Amino acid sequence: MNCLQFENALSDYLEGAGSSEQQAHLSSCSACSSLLADLNLISAEASSLRESDGPAPHVWTALEAQLRREGLIREASRPLLPDFLLRWKTAWLVPVAAALLIAVGIKLYQAPRIGDNQPLAKNVVPRVPVAPVVSVDDKDILTTVASRPPAQVAAYRNDLDQANAFIRDAQESLKNDPNDIYSQQLLINAYEQKQMLYRLAVDQSDEQ
Amino acid sequence: MSSGKCAATVTAMLMLVGASLGAENIRKDLHFKVGKRPMISINNPYGPVLVKAGAAHEVVVTAILHSDRVELDQSKSHNRVDIVSHLLPGADPASGIVEYEILVPPDANLTLHSDNGRVRAEKLQGDLTVAANDGAIEVIDCAGGHVHVRTLNGMVSLNNVHGHVEIMSVGGDILMTGVTGTLVAVNSNSGKIEYEGDFAGDGEYAFTSHTGNIEAVAPAYASIDVLARSTNGIVQSDFSLEPKHAPFLVRGANSLSGTLGKAASSVKLFSFSGRIRLKKRQN
Repeated sequence: MNCLQFENALSDYLEGAGSSEQQAHLSSCSACSSLLADLNLISAEASSLRESDGPAPHVWTALEAQLRREGLIREASRPLLPDFLLRWKTAWLVPVAAALLIAVGIKLYQAPRIGDNQPLAKNVVPRVPVAPVVSVDDKDILTTVASRPPAQVAAYRNDLDQANAFIRDAQESLKNDPNDIYSQQLLINAYEQKQMLYRLAVDQSDEQ
Repeated sequence: MSSGKCAATVTAMLMLVGASLGAENIRKDLHFKVGKRPMISINNPYGPVLVKAGAAHEVVVTAILHSDRVELDQSKSHNRVDIVSHLLPGADPASGIVEYEILVPPDANLTLHSDNGRVRAEKLQGDLTVAANDGAIEVIDCAGGHVHVRTLNGMVSLNNVHGHVEIMSVGGDILMTGVTGTLVAVNSNSGKIEYEGDFAGDGEYAFTSHTGNIEAVAPAYASIDVLARSTNGIVQSDFSLEPKHAPFLVRGANSLSGTLGKAASSVKLFSFSGRIRLKKRQN
């Protein structure tokens, strides 16, 4: 079984009708087991919503009495919503919200089909900006270029941040799949960019 | 004052100003006799370096120095010519400018370095290494040698170049038209990579970026084996590629693997979050 087949039969698995093939795939595929863990987490969070208590009935009664005393509410000739809707609202709102939450979760993780040109949903989640980390070596090299015009120093600092961001992202990709030779190549390329930055900084300092 | 006298005065003043401005520029002409495949190195912190193929066995350098705060250091030993724009105390990006126009033998090997000036190399057949910070780099009609380009933020443009090509850029865009070879490798960070050509030469074409978009335009007759993946971006192709096993899971819109024609050349397009697009050339 591959990932696509697993995802197609995911609803069966979530309803407890999982097959041994699915189980075998889960034990060998980190991506799908991670997906399942996320869905289980969403489901658990939704259940906890159902368990949360609203204010006790006497609180509502006291609040209503207070508002009537102050003349802020009067007897309504007819309720705005029929009784059954009010009951439905209070009784079913939480389970429905939970179901919607699960549905949204599944939709977010749904793998695109062939021909889809839309980005994966997880791709559009804005990335949390990571504060640039300045290593000791970076500080040294920034000191080397510090005597240049401020605009050049700022540009150099920006380039260094970009190279470091590339290194961080490539390392993150490698963590997910250490044997992926293309992620390894991205990391090598990122380090080559940083090496180039260092070399150009030193070369120019020699000139001046 | 009559209008005639006024015009004459203005003309005289303009001539004086022009003469004084011209006096600041110093022209140097250098000639070197060289052998086959000479090694020529130009290091010019500020100002353009334009190199063209000239006569065999001769290097002709025309340099315009923008002030006396910069001087030329030249040396020739055996088949090697080194020229450095030597910044003197007080030189800055304006007063340190030297403009170079150089004619070299077509088979010369060149190393060019400029911080912010434009670098242009044309009709050369030897190896070419260019390093720059912000200035644009143009390589035109070069074949037979290795072309290595390193830049921080300058735009790189290669037109009709054949050989072994390696380009590295942090923020500068890289534009390639009619570039082919046994290896064409581009490593960019945020700069976009654009390629238009037929991926000929049974070569390996490897374009990678961090956030920069990658766009390759190829004709319908291209013979390529394509592997593309953007970890957090979209991959799109106009071609109906013959599916092929990939060394990673090809799924969704962020990767593709397939062949076109006889798959003579390998095309690898990889990005972390840039968009990758393989477009079919409209004839």
